[in-house]
Amino acid sequence: MNVPVLNLRGITKSFGSVSALESFNLAAYEGEVHALVGDNGAGKSTAIKIITGLHQADEGVVEVLGSPLPHRRSPASLSEHGISVVYQDLALVECLDIATNLSLGGLPRRFGMLDRRRMHKDAQTVLGDLKVRVTDVSTAVGLLSGGQRQIIAIARAVRLNKPLLLLDEPTAALGVQETAHVGEIVDQLKADGKTIVCISHDLEFVFQHADRISVLRLGRTVASRRTEDTTRAEIVGLITGAIRPDEGAVA
Amino acid sequence: MPQLRKVFARQEVSLLFVVIAIGAATALKSSAFLTTSNIQQVFIASVSIFVMGCGTALLVIGGGLDFSVGATFTLGGLLTAQLMVHSVPWPLAILVGLIACVFVGVANFAIITYLHVPPIIATLGSFYVLTGITTVMTNGLDVLPLPQGFQTLAQDKFLGIPNTVVFAIVVGVLTWFVLERMPFGINVRALGGNRDAALGNGLAVAWLDVALYGTAALTGGAAGVMYAAQVGSGQVNAGGSSSTLTVITAVLIGGVSLLGGLGSIQGVAMGAVLLSLINNALVLTQIPPTLNTIIIGSILICAVALDHLRRERLYRKR
Ligand SMILES: Nc1ncnc2c1ncn2[C@@H]1O[C@H](COP(=O)(O)OP(=O)(O)OP(=O)(O)O)[C@@H](O)[C@H]1O
Ligand SMILES: [Mg+2]
Repeated sequence: MNVPVLNLRGITKSFGSVSALESFNLAAYEGEVHALVGDNGAGKSTAIKIITGLHQADEGVVEVLGSPLPHRRSPASLSEHGISVVYQDLALVECLDIATNLSLGGLPRRFGMLDRRRMHKDAQTVLGDLKVRVTDVSTAVGLLSGGQRQIIAIARAVRLNKPLLLLDEPTAALGVQETAHVGEIVDQLKADGKTIVCISHDLEFVFQHADRISVLRLGRTVASRRTEDTTRAEIVGLITGAIRPDEGAVA
Repeated sequence: MPQLRKVFARQEVSLLFVVIAIGAATALKSSAFLTTSNIQQVFIASVSIFVMGCGTALLVIGGGLDFSVGATFTLGGLLTAQLMVHSVPWPLAILVGLIACVFVGVANFAIITYLHVPPIIATLGSFYVLTGITTVMTNGLDVLPLPQGFQTLAQDKFLGIPNTVVFAIVVGVLTWFVLERMPFGINVRALGGNRDAALGNGLAVAWLDVALYGTAALTGGAAGVMYAAQVGSGQVNAGGSSSTLTVITAVLIGGVSLLGGLGSIQGVAMGAVLLSLINNALVLTQIPPTLNTIIIGSILICAVALDHLRRERLYRKR
């Protein structure tokens, strides 16, 4: 097979005495929707934050298209590496409006000043493309419901148009209809050739949209399966530990 | 009428009504109030607070806090004065004085960021240290005489408006522009509104912090220099803790939220004018000045409580 777009090898991370990840591995290939599942506290979000540079791994490397990322890096360099992300806590600023939140980290300038008109137009365009019904992009994010916020956070990541997207529980706060909507967005991104790493507790969503499922348990990768080669029962068993991990999956 | 409600939801609009009400009441009681010279006096007295308030407001909107600003104010005026007394030309003296103040801001930033001391403690500490340094620097004596050229900077008028007021307007407009029209200002609001989000979205958080602490110290020092020119001497007791508290009070009354993210320079201007107006009104109406602190304290509490209410209406809990 070709070089993975994203390759995590032997990532280990502890917070004080709490070990969050122990030689965690993950390889996501181009055009693939790669689901990462596991119980609460398994270390999924920690893995995402290590990729983005919010946390530094104690050990291990993060490779993008075969080249390792510098060990110490800030989320500011994420775009340069072709990655965009939706954090589990969404990382939205409540006192700023939707348009500003969508552009945060790369505000459009004109003669050095903020180009508010372009920012609003961009926001309307990206939300329109994603078929999100928002009456006014100058509404403060603090006024939105949890689900609306989640869509805004996803829209921000999509807007950056990077080859690799990391989604940390993108459907956690969403109703049935909105979840289906996010599913459509994921399918569309995949059709556009993007690679997506998606953390989710929603196994129905995972089985509907993922090409590959990796299971994380107590900080270790216990299995990685192609979706068509596995069943929900098996994945649930791997998550809870009822099914023993693959030989060699645990380093 | 959502537009109208939006206007009234702004702190500076409610403040404007308070200012007009106090002004009207004072004018009824004292014929000396509505004279050009008295109104000018009100503005001149608010200038130092406002200039200091500009940098402080940016910092607080960005989620920081600076208790050392009263001491930085003293340092700016004193150091500039001392250099001039040692026959350094006044433009250079001002420049060095201001650079020293920026350095204080950078030191505040470094203590907070690298020694992990909470802002309130770090800047309270540097307040005391600076106060000591300025006293030692001058043996506790005021520094004078200052060159005439320097004094006219503050004492002259421009188109009939005192230079200090013009200076405050320039600083205010600049700060407003940076906060409302520059990407920097938006990033500052993002930083104060949700620091984790700012980090996660790749904002240069450390640079924003150092710029904010530097700016707060710079406007503090600039106000101090201006004050020295105004009174014609570098005064050891120019700033101090009351100065720090007055500035922070003006900023909070002006609707800047201690929780970060929210606030405007127009509000700070209203806050500064209101504080100076209250002083003036009490003197003119011969109400004992001891009542001053009671009134200001009550207004501060009301303003912050109002702000909280407003925030609750503005942002729903998830
Ligand atoms: N900043 C931190 N400081 C200390 N401990 C942390 C920190 N972040 C995560 N942890 C710990 O690391 C472990 C893994 O947390 P993580 O957030 O990665 O789990 P998760 O798989 O994303 O869980 P969830 O499904 O609940 O989101 C937990 O035990 C957590 O308490
Ligand atoms: Mg998580």
